[in-house]
Amino acid sequence: MPMSATQLVLQSPLRSAVWLRALLGVACLWLTPLAAQAPVDFARDVRPILSDRCFACHGPDAAKREAGLRLDVRDVAVKKLASGRAAIVPGDSTLSELVRRLTVHDPDERMPPAASKLTVSPSEVEVLRRWIDEGAAYTLHWSFAPLPAVVELPKVRQSDWVKNGIDAFVLAGMEREGVAPSPPATSAAYLRRASLALNGLPPTIEQVDRFVADGDAVRAIDELLDSKRYGERMASEWLDIARYADTFGYQSDVERPVWPWRDWVIDSFNTNLPYDEFATWQIAGDLLPNATREQQLATAFQRLHRQTNEGGSVEAEMRLEYVADRTETFATAFLGLTIGCARCHDHKFDPVTQREYYELSAFFNNIDESGLYSHFTRATPTPALSLVTAKQSAEESEAAAQVVELERTLEAYATSSREVAALAAAAHGEGVDGAKEHGHVGTFAFESLAKGALVNAKDAALPGRIGENPALVEGVVGKAIQFKGENWAKFSKVGDFDRHQPFSLAFWLRVPERYDRAVVMHRSKAWTDAGSRGYELLIEDGELSFALVHFWPGNAIRIRANQKLTVDAWTHVTLAYDGSSRADGMTIFVDGEVAETRVIRDCLTRTIQGGGADALTLAERFRDRGLKGGAIDELQVYRRELTRGEVARLSGRGGPATQDEELQFYFRAVHSDYRKKLEDLRQARLRLGRVRDKQAEIMVMREMQTRRATYVRPRGSYLAQGEQVDRGTPAFLPKSEAMDRLALARWLTDPAHPLAARVAVNRIWQMHFGSGLVGTSEDFGSQGAPPSHPQLLDWLARWFINSGWDMKALHRLIATSATFAQGSLASLELRERDPENRLLARGPRYQLSAEVLRDQALWAAGLLVERIGGRPVRPYQPAGLWQEKSGSVYHRAKGDGLYRRSLYTYWKRTSPPPAMMLLDASQRDVCVMRRQSTSTPLQALLMLNDPQFVEPARVWAERLVAASGQEQDLLAGVFRRLTSRAATADELQILTLALQEQRESYRADPQRAQQTATIGDRKPAADVDVVEVASWTMVISMLLNFDEVVRLR
Amino acid sequence: MSNAITRRHLFARGATGLGAVAMSHLFADEDGQPKPHFAPRAKRIVYLFQSGGPSQLDLFDYKPLLQEQNGTELPASVRAGQRLTGMSGNQSSFPLAGTQFKFAQHGESRRWVSELLPHTARIVDKLTFVHSMHTEAINHDPAITFLQTGSQLAGRPSLGAWLSYGLGSANRDLPAFSVLVSKNKGGQPLYARLWGNGFLPSAHQGVQFRPGKDRVLYLADPDGVDKTTRRKMLDSLRDLHEAAYERELDPAIRARVEQYEMAYRMQMSVPEVSDVSNEPDHVFDLYGQDARDPGTYAANCLMARRLLERGVRCVQLYHQGWDQHGGLVGAIKGQCRETDQASAALVLDLQARGLLDDTLVVWGGEFGRTNYSQGKLTKSNYGRDHHPRCFTMWMAGGGLKPGYAHGETCEYGYNVVRDPVHVHDLQATILHQLGLDHERLNYRYQGRRFRLTDVHGNVVRPLLA
Repeated sequence: MPMSATQLVLQSPLRSAVWLRALLGVACLWLTPLAAQAPVDFARDVRPILSDRCFACHGPDAAKREAGLRLDVRDVAVKKLASGRAAIVPGDSTLSELVRRLTVHDPDERMPPAASKLTVSPSEVEVLRRWIDEGAAYTLHWSFAPLPAVVELPKVRQSDWVKNGIDAFVLAGMEREGVAPSPPATSAAYLRRASLALNGLPPTIEQVDRFVADGDAVRAIDELLDSKRYGERMASEWLDIARYADTFGYQSDVERPVWPWRDWVIDSFNTNLPYDEFATWQIAGDLLPNATREQQLATAFQRLHRQTNEGGSVEAEMRLEYVADRTETFATAFLGLTIGCARCHDHKFDPVTQREYYELSAFFNNIDESGLYSHFTRATPTPALSLVTAKQSAEESEAAAQVVELERTLEAYATSSREVAALAAAAHGEGVDGAKEHGHVGTFAFESLAKGALVNAKDAALPGRIGENPALVEGVVGKAIQFKGENWAKFSKVGDFDRHQPFSLAFWLRVPERYDRAVVMHRSKAWTDAGSRGYELLIEDGELSFALVHFWPGNAIRIRANQKLTVDAWTHVTLAYDGSSRADGMTIFVDGEVAETRVIRDCLTRTIQGGGADALTLAERFRDRGLKGGAIDELQVYRRELTRGEVARLSGRGGPATQDEELQFYFRAVHSDYRKKLEDLRQARLRLGRVRDKQAEIMVMREMQTRRATYVRPRGSYLAQGEQVDRGTPAFLPKSEAMDRLALARWLTDPAHPLAARVAVNRIWQMHFGSGLVGTSEDFGSQGAPPSHPQLLDWLARWFINSGWDMKALHRLIATSATFAQGSLASLELRERDPENRLLARGPRYQLSAEVLRDQALWAAGLLVERIGGRPVRPYQPAGLWQEKSGSVYHRAKGDGLYRRSLYTYWKRTSPPPAMMLLDASQRDVCVMRRQSTSTPLQALLMLNDPQFVEPARVWAERLVAASGQEQDLLAGVFRRLTSRAATADELQILTLALQEQRESYRADPQRAQQTATIGDRKPAADVDVVEVASWTMVISMLLNFDEVVRLR
Repeated sequence: MSNAITRRHLFARGATGLGAVAMSHLFADEDGQPKPHFAPRAKRIVYLFQSGGPSQLDLFDYKPLLQEQNGTELPASVRAGQRLTGMSGNQSSFPLAGTQFKFAQHGESRRWVSELLPHTARIVDKLTFVHSMHTEAINHDPAITFLQTGSQLAGRPSLGAWLSYGLGSANRDLPAFSVLVSKNKGGQPLYARLWGNGFLPSAHQGVQFRPGKDRVLYLADPDGVDKTTRRKMLDSLRDLHEAAYERELDPAIRARVEQYEMAYRMQMSVPEVSDVSNEPDHVFDLYGQDARDPGTYAANCLMARRLLERGVRCVQLYHQGWDQHGGLVGAIKGQCRETDQASAALVLDLQARGLLDDTLVVWGGEFGRTNYSQGKLTKSNYGRDHHPRCFTMWMAGGGLKPGYAHGETCEYGYNVVRDPVHVHDLQATILHQLGLDHERLNYRYQGRRFRLTDVHGNVVRPLLA
């Protein structure tokens, strides 16, 4: 479908479908003219046709394969089919069914079938015919073929042009085509180009002058690579790949601070972390031996996908979406493969089966995460890493040491004073001085529901209350309270415990059925909507399940009874907890005895309070399943951990207390010294908790100990469960023993891997030339574009690996090549012959990215605030954009936040910065390796009218008006700062005229001038001629829209 | 000086002189527009998106049985184990909730419409109803994304972007795909990605028209810059570009000149289309007085008509607030009050102007609502949860069969029992009416041909006139 220029668009043909078609069909042939009768190359000429037009039904997807024919495997393609004919008869196209079916007139026989809406052109049929006649040789798809250990440099005639290996390959290509390299760019143009490519900002005039003087490209390039701006420029590209954003995405789109990961990216580029490590840390930094905090932080890469908290979402469905995103991002970012198709069925074009997709996904399916983040709390979805400052770290160590110390003291104390205490305990007996009432804060007998109040025999001031009419029924003692699933009883303050507080809850429970799930009691706001923050007793699959939760499942402790609860009988249940935040500090008692339990989770490091819930609630929870038909009686609430003996007495069941249990009771309830130490421990744990709760957290990867099973999901649906699969990599790639993500990273970065280095060097090439050697940098598969210079790509990839994956060295190599240094102005003849510069017989020309365009304007005006990293900032943006979509308000920055580099601009996924979106930035919803490049009138309006572009012009204008100097010189200076070259006499004339016209216009209406001269937040200079400022503003604004400023050339 | 001036004269503004000649190879004229695959029945579309999921059971899909059995439990045989959202899925009971609103039959087609929509009721004979819509997603974000882009996953182009890509614009001074969002509405959020271009060139992004000074983002000149100042500045910029072009003969430089000229023309055409001051009073009587208040649904409907009149290919409206999980009775009244009259007015107005025949009007949300009450069913109120298994949409004009109702749901209003229409079917049908074969309207990205309808969808022939 061709684009039209008249639809408000000036579309670069490179991106259009027309071009892709041309690239795959005509352009390939053009590079190797058929007229020359060079042999047909399967990978370059044939496979793209078969893949695009035939593989959907005769390719890798076994489920959709027609007539048993697959054309992607030679052995099958040449076999006799059921019809008795063979699709391909090597050496004889006339006998080949394939050719007959492509050319036959009978619509029933004709391929591709009309329903597919695909056609194979006569010239393409001719290619296939010739290929078959030449023997129908198959070769491995070029990018899957092994990366050669050595790639010989080609011989070239004009060898003095060659500066490094790159040039040899490029020149060889040109010489083959009878094309000569373009003359080198001027020094100024070259430096500007390199500076924009490597630093994302133009050079200063001083830098240009110095380079013009010494001509030392290596020095100039090294300066750019040493600049901290290099890391920022590189990072801003990597953010697209990592689908980096400051919010979760999906509809509520809450903020999530992940910028520390972005800062790590900038830093790792600046410190030149080798690419293999850069990849390994992000894939599996957590699994490296003695992983540093930074290595763990790097894995946040895999958690940057969108996440939802939309009420009612199915947790399991969303979690699988996250796993899929991680899998597909890994494949695209590092392998250059688009494997998403194989999520639902075998890939139609590349040899990735559906099973292999899920085998790969199994690497990313083993972290303790939830499909929903919390709506009611700000908990960081688990697994999470605390980001501590040195001070916080010291604080934490100290607080933790105190806890350990006190725990030891208590233990030692209990042992040392055992004898004495035992005597005292025996003498003391039960109940003396109300000891057993120590910490007893609630007794609810459920004898009356009068006025909706539940009497608290322990504290009349803190009664419970009921909602939605629970009923009174016969209980164990007098009446009990019975529920319907949607009604409830609540007790404010009585049970509002945090994790450092020992507590116990004892009660009678009767259930009418073996629930799959039911909420018995809890102190929490909600289930998935709050990450279960709080404490809770559930029945899961008939078993009592007791948990304290910061964020379920990754930051919680939970134990679960091994025995199922008896149905239709009163059971006495007690939950006791010692305040340790450990699963072994939790006990479930059933009928006076310790129930056998198993530990489900044992990692609780942060508070269990917050989210807007403080009342102990029975039988119901928001959007959870209530205790339908269940009844509860005689609820006791304690602010201490009950002993087994006490529980036995409370329940009237279970064996009598042992001497040890009596002693335990004595310590906890009576012994003042012990109790004081216990209180000290509680305080110490509280302190430690507070220290931890203050620390920032970030989502990372961390393996679960028990591996989660991964299944094939027919049609990609979470509801369908196919066979279970183990971890594995696709069979067409090198064999791997990969059993975890670290092994996967090692497999990827093995020097023999065919894709990793090719994909990486291609992407880096793209940063210099605007387009990769492989145009489809995100797709190295069968449907991707073939490389313009396959040997160069291989040579570069091998060079890169041999350099130790040295990214700066690779940039240096490319930037100092004669290829990169060519002038970008092509002759008409060359442009017509090679419109997309696939021969690289000239330098690059492309529109600067959204980030660079804005940064350049700020920089030129001297407004750019260069500070690396930190929280995202909120520069100018038209008012109301967030409001009209979601009701939230964009509070724009004052001061420095307006003038930071664009990679720090706050990225809200559901309402991304409009200026960036208009300038072709990616949406940051999914991994993107290559941006669109379009040119629309809206871009022009943006660059003419957005204060982000006008304020710099105004501020710069003020400075010029205040400066002394000839108007001509000032104009020339502005022009040169923006373009890095001197204006021609003609251009200066135009600028002078422009300034004059603006002056006349503003002089006639000084009020307008006053307005223009005060645009933006930056305080206007006092006592300036506003007519002058306004006029200069317009001239500078005009130059910010000049093609030579907007495009790299 | 004289050189520059001469150049400016030579490179004349407008479509005469050297400039026009030089540019003719760059910019195709009207004939260069992408062509439909076959003769279209509709040339343009306006989609009135009712965000949040309007309750079909209280508006169009009349189910007396629910009123009879009000308060009784949803039979398990009707639900048949189908999934529910996490919002009501754990309820201990699912009491059927009959509508509290009166239904009556209207028009010659005897179509049932509730009292909530008196204006829509009057035009039912012009409308084509689909009672058997169903979708795959059960939550807002995936469901809206699915309806608008054909996929629940992010990153795909929206319907409007596909139409802009497939059909281009009939007015080069206005965006082919225009978006209008009702102002001051709460409810479920919207997202820019709904009118995004996905992997299509960003020129196909929906352009949002907003109330206020900047009807389109960045349209207004900066403070103190008037039209003369701007024109002179653009002329100077053109001079610079012309000088550069003469030196380099790079066609992209010429393209940039045209880019800025188009921007300048938009600065005229957008305020012109947005200015309703010359609309006569009877128009406001038709749409309702809200239409005088820019940014309201009514004003957006009127704005939509003005855009369509000027050749805009796709106008997408959004009206939030239909997500009535609780307190439906009061809330839905407000929603209907805001939308009923203007929706009907748009159909009537298009017809009066002879535009309805080749304009497709689509009304609907992302899913339906449950026949049982979410939360408590009281005498006077109830809530309804999301229900993907059936919902009602209506369309008008654009070569569809007026006065026709397609599909049927069971007497419980829970399942489709006749002629189900999947979201992809709807999309295929919309494209078909616009002259596009949904299987041929595709775009190569990441090695595969993407379509609005993925690999599914069938044109719903019975809907066609």
